[in-house]
This record gives sequence, C-alpha cells and structure tokens, in this order.
Amino acid sequence: MSLERLRTDILILGSGGAGLFAALHALKANPDLEVTVATKGLLGKCGCTRMVQGGYNVALNPGDSVERHFMDTIEGGKWLPHQELAWTLVSTAVERVRELENEIGCFFDRNPDGTLHGKAFAGQTFDCTVHKDDLTGIEIINRLMEQVWARPVRRLEEHRAVAFIPAADGALAGVLLIDIRTGAFRFVAAQAVLLATGGGPTMYRYHTPSGDKSMDGLAMALRAGLLLRDMEMVQFHPTGLLAGPDTRMTGTVLEEGLRGAGGHLLNGAMHRFMGDYDKELERATRDVVSRAIYAEMRAGRTTPNGGVYIKMGHLGPEKVAKQFKGMVERCRDCGFDLAGGLVEVVPTAHYFMGGVVCRPDTSTEWPGLFVAGEDASGMHGANRLGGNGVANSTVFGGIAGDVMPRWISANGGHRAPDERVLDAELARALHPFGCKPGNLNELREKLLDTMWGEVGVVRDREGLDRGVAALDAIEAELLVTGLADEGRAFNMTWHDWLNLRSLTEVSRVIALAARKRENSRGAHFRSDFPEPGDLASSRFTVARQTAAGLDITDAPVAFTHVRPGETLLDKVAAE
Amino acid sequence: MSLWRGGEKGRYETYKVPLRENQTVLDVVTFVQRHLDPTLSYRFACRVGMCGSCAMTVNGRPRWTCRTHVSRVATRGQLEIGPLENLPVIKDLTTDMRPFFEKWQQAKGAFVPSQTRGDEIERIRPDSPARIAADAAIECINCAICYAACDTVRWNSDYLGPAALNRAWTLVNDVRDGATSERLQAVAASGGCHACHSHQSCQELCPQQLNPTASIAGLKRRTMWAYLKGEI
Repeated sequence: MSLERLRTDILILGSGGAGLFAALHALKANPDLEVTVATKGLLGKCGCTRMVQGGYNVALNPGDSVERHFMDTIEGGKWLPHQELAWTLVSTAVERVRELENEIGCFFDRNPDGTLHGKAFAGQTFDCTVHKDDLTGIEIINRLMEQVWARPVRRLEEHRAVAFIPAADGALAGVLLIDIRTGAFRFVAAQAVLLATGGGPTMYRYHTPSGDKSMDGLAMALRAGLLLRDMEMVQFHPTGLLAGPDTRMTGTVLEEGLRGAGGHLLNGAMHRFMGDYDKELERATRDVVSRAIYAEMRAGRTTPNGGVYIKMGHLGPEKVAKQFKGMVERCRDCGFDLAGGLVEVVPTAHYFMGGVVCRPDTSTEWPGLFVAGEDASGMHGANRLGGNGVANSTVFGGIAGDVMPRWISANGGHRAPDERVLDAELARALHPFGCKPGNLNELREKLLDTMWGEVGVVRDREGLDRGVAALDAIEAELLVTGLADEGRAFNMTWHDWLNLRSLTEVSRVIALAARKRENSRGAHFRSDFPEPGDLASSRFTVARQTAAGLDITDAPVAFTHVRPGETLLDKVAAE
Repeated sequence: MSLWRGGEKGRYETYKVPLRENQTVLDVVTFVQRHLDPTLSYRFACRVGMCGSCAMTVNGRPRWTCRTHVSRVATRGQLEIGPLENLPVIKDLTTDMRPFFEKWQQAKGAFVPSQTRGDEIERIRPDSPARIAADAAIECINCAICYAACDTVRWNSDYLGPAALNRAWTLVNDVRDGATSERLQAVAASGGCHACHSHQSCQELCPQQLNPTASIAGLKRRTMWAYLKGEI
C-alpha cells in the first residue's frame, strides 16, 4: 500500500477562518518555519466560514464595551461558557477586526459618515455586529485566502485527515491523510498540529453546514482519547429550506432577518401558530421558535413535505425582494417564491457548540496539538450568539498561529510515528474495500432520521436510549457494508463511507452527553427535565473515549469573571 | 442525461435519473453517484452558491450546479454535464483550479496593507466614487465560471482572465491598498487587461451579475493614464 511521507513544521487541518489565520500568524511569528495547510476541499472554499451571513460581533463602537459583549455571550450561553475562553474571545475580537480591515483587506459596511456600521443581531444588547451586507463570510474568507496564496504556505488541497499518529512514547508525531484526488495516503510529520476542521452537525436530517463537513476532526480527537466538552449542545436554526427528498437544498438556512422583519410562520392548516407558544411570536429566540415548529410537526399540522410555511408577501413582495435580495434569489433559483409566495421551512442543525477541551492559548491536553474554531469548545456554552462564530474562529486561529511557533522553539522536534498505529489507521481507512458492497444510502438515511427524531430539537430519556441503540446498530451495519475497489482516485463514495463513520461516532457522544444533562439549557431541551436547573451550581459535560468505552461525566463551571445574578456592566458604568 | 467520464481524454456516458419537482443539477449528479455509479467524481461544498466549488459545463454553458434548477436548463428532458472548460480535468466533472488561482496572484489580487492592526479603522464614505467602483465588483466568489467562458483564455493561455483582473480593479479602487503601481504594472503586462477582446461572456454568465468586462475596461484606462504620466 502506497504511503508517502512528508515533513513540515506546523500542520494546520482546515482552511476556514481559524486555519487561515493560524497560517498567517505562524509565518509572521517565525518566517523560517514551514507551514502546511491541509483541507478537505479547496483552500478557503469548503467549510463554513465562507457561509457566514450575519457578521462579526465586536465591541468597537463608542458606547459599547467588551464587558457588554462578554455578558451577552455568557447570558446567551446560559452560564455554561468557560469564562476565560469567552473573555479571550470578546477582548481579542477588537484587534482581530482591525487586522481584518487594515492588514487582510476586508472592507466592512460603513455608515454614511464613513465609520464602521454595526448592525443589530439577536441576543445582543448593542448593535455591534460588523458585516458586509449579508455575505460577510465571503468577504472574510476571500481576503484571507488571497493572503495565504501570496505567501509560501504549502497547500494540501482535497486532503482528508483520518487520524492523529502518536510516537512510540505517546507524543504527537503527525497526521495521516488521504489525498482525495489520487486516493493515496500521506503521513505528514509535524512539530505542532492545529485541529481546525470545523464541527458542523451534518448528522441531522436537516442541516445547514457545508456538505463536505462530517465531524472528522472530532472523531479523530475522540479516537485519540482527548477530552470533549458540551457535546450535547447542537444549535438548531428555526428556518431551513424544506425542498423534499433527494435534494441538497433541503436544510439550507433561510436567514434570521426574515422573522425579524415581520415574516409569519404558518402551519399546514394555514394557522399562524407562534402565538400559541410565545408572546414574542416569530421574533422569539432561535431555540423557542425551533421547538414550536417541531411541536407543530409532531402534532402532524404540517405542509406537504412535513414542515411549516414562512410567508413574507404581506410585507410587500417588492420590498422583500429588495431587502432580502440574496435569499429571494437563492429561493427563486431553486424554484421557490420567497417574496410573494409560501416557502416550506423546518428547523435545521446549524452549529456545534461542543468540541475539544482547550485552554485560552488554544493548547490541548496533548502537547503539540492545538485546536481552534468549531472543533474547540467552551466559548459558547449552551448556545452560540449569532455573530460569535466567525469571531471565534478568527480570534483563536490567530492565537494558535502566535502560540505554535513559540511552543516549537521550546518543545519542538519531529518524532518518529508509531508504525503499528500508522498501519492500524491505514487498515481502518481501507476497511470498506474489504467488505461486500452494500447500501450506504440507506444507512445515511437511517443516521439522519435517528439523530433528527431521537437526539434532536426536543429530547427525552426514552428517545435518547432508542437513539443510542439505533446508532450502535448503524455502526455495526456500516462496518459490514463495503465498497467495490474500482479505483480510489476522487472516490466520493469511499469518502461518504468515511464521513458516515465519523458522523456515527460523534453522534453517539452527542446522544450520551444529552442523556447525561438532566436539565434544559439553551440549545439542549429535555421534555422530561424542562427546567434549566440551578445556575450557580452549573456543570458542563465531559466525554472521553477510553479502552473501556465512552466515559461521560460532568464538572462544575468556574465563574472566574462573573457569577449568576451578577453583571460586569455595573462596574463599567461606575468607571 | 450524459456525464463526462475520465480525465482530459474521456467520453460522455448516459444515465437515466428520475425527475423530481425540486431538483438542481447538483442533485442529479449526486443521484448518479449515490445510486447508479459510485465512482463518479464531482466537487461541491456549500450547496447554496457561496463557495464556488461546484461549477460545471451544463448543456454547453458554465453554471453553478447547486443553484441551477433542472427545469431551467434541461432541453427535451436532457442534460449534458461536463467539467469546466479552460482548466485541466482531474477526473470526471472535477477540474484543477490552480491555474485560475495562480493567475489571481499574478494579477496581484491580494491586498497590500498600508496600516496595521494597531491603527483605527479608516473612515471611508460609502458614497465616495472609488468605493462605489470597488463595491460594484467585489462580490466575486471565485467560481471560475467567467474564466471557463472566456474566449481569450481559450486562445491565450497566458491571459489572466476576467476574475483575476476584476479583483485587481477592486484593489486599484481601494484607497487603503499600498501597491497600486505594482498592480497596474502587473495587469498592464502581456496577458493582462489589454489582451481582453471584450467578448463579454464573463458578464453575461457571471452568476453574481458582476461585470468583469467593465472592470477590465477600467484597468485599461487606468493603466494608460499611469503610463502616460510615467507612473508605470
């Protein structure tokens, strides 16, 4: 079996906001280091940074403060965030946005007088979201990728990471990858590795993230025995497009602003149902609206494809077409009239708050491994604020790029990989070619339905038990479902198989963490434990794969900046 | 439908895919890979017209497959789908986009800062003429549809192409950028803006409704002035 061996100083997995910022900062910190970015798709073109619509939360404007941004993040996260991580996020965001504008070349929307425009966004007490229309992510990632291309960064595009490889003494030696274009394996030895593949809960029937995402990074971290935190926390967006079966359009997000602007949600009987659930009607928070839609669906009051309708036409189709140009055009291209007609929508899995446990300097418990972006955890707690996603990836990606060169000069050196682990991981990735071809599509459908039905918007003990049992069965079936070995070059079906394995493994952790949390916080709702529980004694879940199985425990949140019932804003006002 | 199979050398093969009410070109390609031939290769990512990974040649025209409804492009119920033109084919429907991005760099399509993260963000009025010009061309997602559609690229492999030059034009109009004369030199060189024959396929086919032909015309004027004034 062919295995090419490469050597680099810093290996970055992922080319979103986190990965690209890390590359730029690492080269700036030490231009003598060789930096390699490996990414599953094309550099900067896969993943979700590019898909950011809303914008970037940052306390830049006069009258705003990082304390205000911090309190919104903590309150939004239902007191579960790791407060040092959240503080690092909000306080570093200021410099990061200036860097994006002044050094990377992003141009964010201005007020008429030329100052930076901050827009209002859900869950924020100040209009602090910096943006470029509703296509902020494209501006950020396009400018970042240009900067990376312009520098001597080694690019491994269409390379899928499959495993961390330790040295014989357990230290990190490097990463095993598959070159998707040729189907060949590459082992990349590195002194430091950044995990920045982006989470992305694509194991749900309805999901918004980029279609290439499959939680590979977290599956690798799990197998390496790393601590994972907040794994029950899956954020659902209330309005994903529902276009029926066999279309990749289904699940893609219709923006928050449609409800904010006065859009109505109607059930299959054309009843505007939000009044039955919340006095804020359609403008209630994402979690409340998602649960209301889910309840209508469970009660069978649905549209032909099994969701509800969003209606904008009463606001004036021309006005809607102007205000929401991008959304209206996207719907039109796909055959739907958002401006004047009814469009079917459904709650859709949007963002994963859980991930690898890390410190504010992005280091993990495994020396030499760093983590940033959606693969990391603790910044958002039980819920991520809109506008904190791209802030998170760029802030911590940049920090990782600052920190890794320093770490290398103090601890660096390449380590020889444990050849037995390397062999085992190669065999693991080739597993499907040794089995009789079977029905992968049916298994994918089963996984999507299991996670949606049993581990989704509303959870309870019985459903979670059923979910765990179903996931075990899916995994067992996957392991006897093979592929014909008819060429491994750009073999997407092989990668579908590997995607399913990653997703199934991470799904089980989600289900078990959800079973562990016997209360309802933010994105996690248990119908058998609907109360949030005592905030002052809040605990977060921790998961680890051991030789004996999955170990799920919890630990107390440390209120190092502010305690429930307190605020930092009094202090700011007093100063 | 018929799909290109193979590399630079290959052939179109025919498949039958069930018609659905809601179905994009990407969906029918996916259907073939999932249900008819698991070895079919294609590229996609975001599914919603933001990443520019999934462009292919559909019934003779380059298009985003994720945002193209089958009913809009099928002729007599038939589709012919191939890889983008003007780029090397990797396999089946995937192309190697490196030449496209290398030319983006040759056109000096990366911002060169004149300030640092320690400085305040510059006040720039959105109604200033330079900013209006930059904004009109900025929303490119580098999908390479214009590049695949361009006759000049087809005839002259050194030509930088519409997207790279369009990006250069936005930077020439970015008052914060610190490398205008180097960039004008780069785009005035052989294979640069003066090679454009204004066939306008780029602006006809740009899914973002941008007008690279106009951006290139702007560069032609600007480089001419810079030359006359002795700046380049």
